[in-house]
Amino acid sequence: MPVNLGRAGRILTLLLVAVGFAYPVAAFALVGLRRDDGSGPTGLSLGNARDSWHTVLRFNDGVVLSWLGNSLIVATGGALVAVAVGLPAGYALARLRFPGRRLLRFCTLLTMVVPNTVLVIPLYLEVSAAGAVNNIWVVALLMGFYPFGVYLTYIHFRTTLPVPVLEAARIDGLSETDIFRRIALPASKPAVALVGFFSFVANWTNFFLPLVLLPLSSSTTISVGLPQLVSSSPLFDPTNAAGLDVRLYAPQLAVATLVTVAPVVAVFVIAQRALTRGQMLGAGRR
Amino acid sequence: MGRRAAAVLVLPYVALLLVGGLGPAGYAVVKSLQNESETGFGGLSSYRRVVTDLRFAETFGNVALTMVIWLPLMLLGVVGLALLVDASPGRFGTTMRFVYYLPGALTGVANFMLWLFLLDPGQSPVAFLWHGFGHHTLGEVAQPGNLPYILAAMLFFQGAGTWVVVLTGGLNSISEDLLEAARLDGAGAWGIAWRVKLPMIRPWLGYLALLNLAYGFQLFLEPQVLSQVTHGLIAPQWTPNQLGFSYAYQILDTPMAAAMSVILLTVTLGVGLLVVRRSGLFDDER
Repeated sequence: MPVNLGRAGRILTLLLVAVGFAYPVAAFALVGLRRDDGSGPTGLSLGNARDSWHTVLRFNDGVVLSWLGNSLIVATGGALVAVAVGLPAGYALARLRFPGRRLLRFCTLLTMVVPNTVLVIPLYLEVSAAGAVNNIWVVALLMGFYPFGVYLTYIHFRTTLPVPVLEAARIDGLSETDIFRRIALPASKPAVALVGFFSFVANWTNFFLPLVLLPLSSSTTISVGLPQLVSSSPLFDPTNAAGLDVRLYAPQLAVATLVTVAPVVAVFVIAQRALTRGQMLGAGRR
Repeated sequence: MGRRAAAVLVLPYVALLLVGGLGPAGYAVVKSLQNESETGFGGLSSYRRVVTDLRFAETFGNVALTMVIWLPLMLLGVVGLALLVDASPGRFGTTMRFVYYLPGALTGVANFMLWLFLLDPGQSPVAFLWHGFGHHTLGEVAQPGNLPYILAAMLFFQGAGTWVVVLTGGLNSISEDLLEAARLDGAGAWGIAWRVKLPMIRPWLGYLALLNLAYGFQLFLEPQVLSQVTHGLIAPQWTPNQLGFSYAYQILDTPMAAAMSVILLTVTLGVGLLVVRRSGLFDDER
């Protein structure tokens, strides 16, 4: 029965790997439900998670809230810029002919596949030459440069906006900007959701850029802040932590991490809903 | 036709491309050619200082070692899992794929927090594993010699699911007729996987390998924070990007930091050019 043996092996392999992926995540989430004030972890309850969060809030007079707020500003601001700037650019690349189009498409692809952290130090040199280090709006604006989003909208308009529709609009005497505003924009909801989601997540989890451009501890983002929590935990630095009045152990650190992940999950849920709604609109029109 | 409209639609993006991409890259090139005191032209002296820094070769060695472990793990693991998932029709396959994708929600620092907890024998749910290796403290687990393995595992855990989704998408698009024809020719499950499915997703494999190769050169977050929380047990300049960061932030030698960035940019741009020109994935122009 070699066929059944192969089938059993396949299912067993997939299940084993699934355990390998899911078990650490589940175990980590469970740590957040425990209580530990230095004498070892105890049983699970939601109340523990709440208490741990209150402990995290007391760290440096609630600096965690500023970090979360700053993350929200750069992630949302960056996503808004990425959508507002990327959508028209992606449309023009996909459906308009203009000098330099191929070059712009090439630069977009290239900056898209080059990992963005290799540009962080050059960005730092540029921004500090302009005297704009520690300016959160500059960081948001720079995060708005999102070539992957331009490529996504480019693909979106190439696959969903047929050339004959545009030709008809031109014959009707609509100007090119009118065509973009009245035909392309209303059909761009799925692209907005995709670009908004991907760029928000990329900005929210970005570590290197805020580390370099927002060096002040109070003005930085949660990605840079979380490791500071770890560094001042008695688990990793007993001597330094002994002098602190807020002691962060594994449950507190786990809760802080889970709170950090929550916006990403929330944006995922929102974007997914918008995506399916967009598809339904398209289906209704057909 | 519509040149002015195209300009209006594209200009904001071009401006961001200049400020956030080409500008800093060009500025880094200019800065790297200055002399040490930044008062005039210094030729290639900053490059000489970078290359003769003992840590320069070391950091690239570290990256190379990590890639030697990570790339095969990633390629074999992701391709194997994608083929197995593709061979599992219905809910089982999609559920498995979702589970593999799960850790992807914990990107960046959140993934790091999870791993810190996994790696610390005092907290870890897989502590038995570390005890088996004879490690009893975080410092012993995360010793420099183990770092390439740890990073490879971290990056696989975080990124594999996304690639499984991408590859199963590619496998899904293989026509049923082709698979049926192969079956009629007497090909078994292995034969189909090896001789039909694998060649069909070849462009994606090249893309995966090259993109991850470029990614390796920009490693920053994981070794940086690990060094921070283990209090220098791991050299704070373990990867090229960290070395560039220390030139900019600790030694305050701007030309050196710029030179390091230019070297990294050149390497990743080279890889990026290969991806854009040769992978065959971006040839969607008519």
